Amino acid sequence: MKDKLFRDILPWVSKPIRYTGGEVNIIRKDWQESKAKMAFAFPDVYEIGMSHIGGKILYGLVNEKSQHLLERTYAPWPDMEERMREEKIPLYTLESFTPLKDFDVVGFSLQYELTITNVLNMLDLAGIPVLAEQRSDQDPLITAGGPVAFNPEPFADFFDVFLIGDGEELLLEFLDMVDQTRNLERRQRLQKMAEIPGIYVPSLYEVEYHEDGTIKSRVPLYGGVPERVRKRVIPDLDYAYFPDKPIIPYMNIVHDRAVLEVMRGCQRGCRFCHAGVVYRPVRERSLEVLKKQAELQLKNTGYEEISLASLSTLDYTGVDRLVRHLVCSYGERGIGVSLPSLRVDAFSIDLANEVQKVRKTTLTLAPEAGSQRLRDVINKNVSEEQVIEAVEAAFQSGWNAVKLYFMIGLPTETEADLEGILDLVNKVRETGQKYSRRSVEVRASIAAFVPKAHTPFQWVVQNTAGELEDKRRYMMRQKRKGIKLSFHESYTSLVEGALARGDRRLGRVIFHAWQNGCKFDSWSEYFQLDQWVQAFQACQIDMDFYTQRMRSMDEIFPWDFIDTGVSRKFLQSEYNKALQGELTPDCRIADCTGCGICSGLGVELSLKEAGDYAFKSPV
Amino acid sequence: MRLRVQYSLGPDLRFLSHLDLMHMVERALRRADIPFLLSQGYNPHIHLSLGTVLPVGLWGQQEYFDLELEEMYPQLFKQRMNEVLPPAMRIQHCRLIPLEAPSLMKLINTATYVFCITDVSKEQLNTLVRNWYESSALPVPSRGKKKDRVKDLRKGIYRININHGEDAFQLEFLVSAGEPLNIRYDELLDLISASVSPRLIVDYFRKGNYIKKKDRLYSPLEKVM
Ligand code: SF4
Repeated sequence: MKDKLFRDILPWVSKPIRYTGGEVNIIRKDWQESKAKMAFAFPDVYEIGMSHIGGKILYGLVNEKSQHLLERTYAPWPDMEERMREEKIPLYTLESFTPLKDFDVVGFSLQYELTITNVLNMLDLAGIPVLAEQRSDQDPLITAGGPVAFNPEPFADFFDVFLIGDGEELLLEFLDMVDQTRNLERRQRLQKMAEIPGIYVPSLYEVEYHEDGTIKSRVPLYGGVPERVRKRVIPDLDYAYFPDKPIIPYMNIVHDRAVLEVMRGCQRGCRFCHAGVVYRPVRERSLEVLKKQAELQLKNTGYEEISLASLSTLDYTGVDRLVRHLVCSYGERGIGVSLPSLRVDAFSIDLANEVQKVRKTTLTLAPEAGSQRLRDVINKNVSEEQVIEAVEAAFQSGWNAVKLYFMIGLPTETEADLEGILDLVNKVRETGQKYSRRSVEVRASIAAFVPKAHTPFQWVVQNTAGELEDKRRYMMRQKRKGIKLSFHESYTSLVEGALARGDRRLGRVIFHAWQNGCKFDSWSEYFQLDQWVQAFQACQIDMDFYTQRMRSMDEIFPWDFIDTGVSRKFLQSEYNKALQGELTPDCRIADCTGCGICSGLGVELSLKEAGDYAFKSPV
Repeated sequence: MRLRVQYSLGPDLRFLSHLDLMHMVERALRRADIPFLLSQGYNPHIHLSLGTVLPVGLWGQQEYFDLELEEMYPQLFKQRMNEVLPPAMRIQHCRLIPLEAPSLMKLINTATYVFCITDVSKEQLNTLVRNWYESSALPVPSRGKKKDRVKDLRKGIYRININHGEDAFQLEFLVSAGEPLNIRYDELLDLISASVSPRLIVDYFRKGNYIKKKDRLYSPLEKVM
């Protein structure tokens, strides 16, 4: 297969290096000697999939720490797909060029909803039945994990098993079970797996609906199948596996650098934020562990840059000491440090100055909403003064471009809030003009808010594409010098919204859309709204039911049985507080805010470097 | 000091772009803990310069790069690098060259490209080669920067050999490279494909890069000034 690929296929496709494998630090385990064989499938192109930390962790974990084997595969770009179909080359893994069909498990990483059509396409390219119910004992088990799996229901038709929560422990337990049950028939196997905490097997449940389309009940079909599935949580990151020898891709990928996961989770509690809930509670790595990891990773990769990744890196209690350590130890060798996201305060700017001693690129801040009122509604604890202060500090120390992130379509939003965005952007530019000799550019990236499951806004109505379009036009009505507004596609956000809060009945719609040629839906050049609309119509399902309906407080949601550890009561009180514009403080600083996670999951906040570090709260 | 390095880049790495190759070598230098020199200023970079670009799709038997570094035995450099490089890339030789020696890009003016062809007879190839030699012009669409032009390959082709390979014949072209006339491998491929079905051309690679002075060929390791 490899010869044919190299000779007849790869010379004719774009970016062939995506498909050759053979990277430095690749792990090729012996097939015969290995127990369970799993293909890790990322339903997007190589350069995106390879940038994802979770994949790096699981790859090293399974291959280095267990007797199982894990190989990688990514979604081929449409030109490659076409060639593969013509030449009858099934989807294969990059380690051994083995067809996916030969594996025991194919596990997909679901990072965003719209990649689901790529999942179907990849299964089809692999010659594996797309629908779970059509698979036989000989077919691999198809699994999924990742943040999207926290509402698995719209995707229930396509997966045999979902893995909910941190994968580090769960995946190995699952693979042990895969190996132990290989002689059982599929249904029995799945039943055994459902007993492992954190595993959800959709085919073992039945859902009934009320006449109005909402859920009446969902019941396990067999004894021993749990009613609720609780997410798995790694209590202490210091003892969790992290790869010291990640694969170094040949091609330039999106995040092409060494990476440290300084912490997992975020406790700020922004009310729109899905990640903030599903990755709770905050768990930090200690400085010593991180220093060691940095050293080994840089030694084993030769990377010229190291990045501190996490949901809100600047909240890591040891961040200033870590950054100083990295700059001191590696700066002279030409190795740079990068901070992916900056908090809106002067401390962040100081630290960013530290790492960017030479190159001042664009400063990125996320106030998310334009007015103080709306920022209180979403619990984004940032004031206009803080934004201006941060920008002042930045311009004074030589930056000259700012990018601001906002959302439109947030609950309770009015015209005044849109004006607020424009005002704030203007003020930022004026501040810049004051301190910078060159002309200053301010860009605002404006995304459409999509209500997500498990968040305080899970009940609310999403803006229609028309409403979003009106808002866009309103904000663009006059040109402003030195200011650039860019808007995300409003149509993709509708489909994303339907899937994010969808139920099992959407499986048919997804299947239909894929059959109509939908793929790479998160790429605007491939997203086909008309095909999705048509798919909804053909299945006689009303998209508005999922996006345009204010849900009642006691409605049973499709995702209710997935237990994130955060209580529904807490979400509801957060929603009520949002309507009052009341803030909920960060529980690292103030008292426990009662979200329920620590007592519920038997874990606790794990702040490693808080002792001698005065937490600088923007509140 | 400045080191000139000769290496091979096997078929497994044929789809690397020039930039990919650069990154790969830079990262290998770091892993091998080579005392390379960094440029001063804004965005410090390693003083590494690769010879003529090896196009995506092509592998190479004798390629070159130059590197500036602190004192180090060339043999140790070779050994440490080969420990960390992917197996498909091997460093073959290296030698010290004067700091002021001209760059590889300036020196290299000739290259050999080899095309492996199956299911043809020696006679067929002989006839082909004879025809090419006898033509006064060999026009093909230019694949270089001036895309819409027609390029005449004839005066850039110095010699064509036919060799017996393992299970294919090898057509070996010695051609002009760099300035003023750069003959590209894909232009040669077009030339051959006009008479031989592309399916029969099962492999191609660059065999070497040379410095042609009058009628003699030198390797960039031999002739550094
Ligand atoms: S800071 Fe807010 S938006 Fe960012 S991860 Fe934390 S909760 Fe989510």
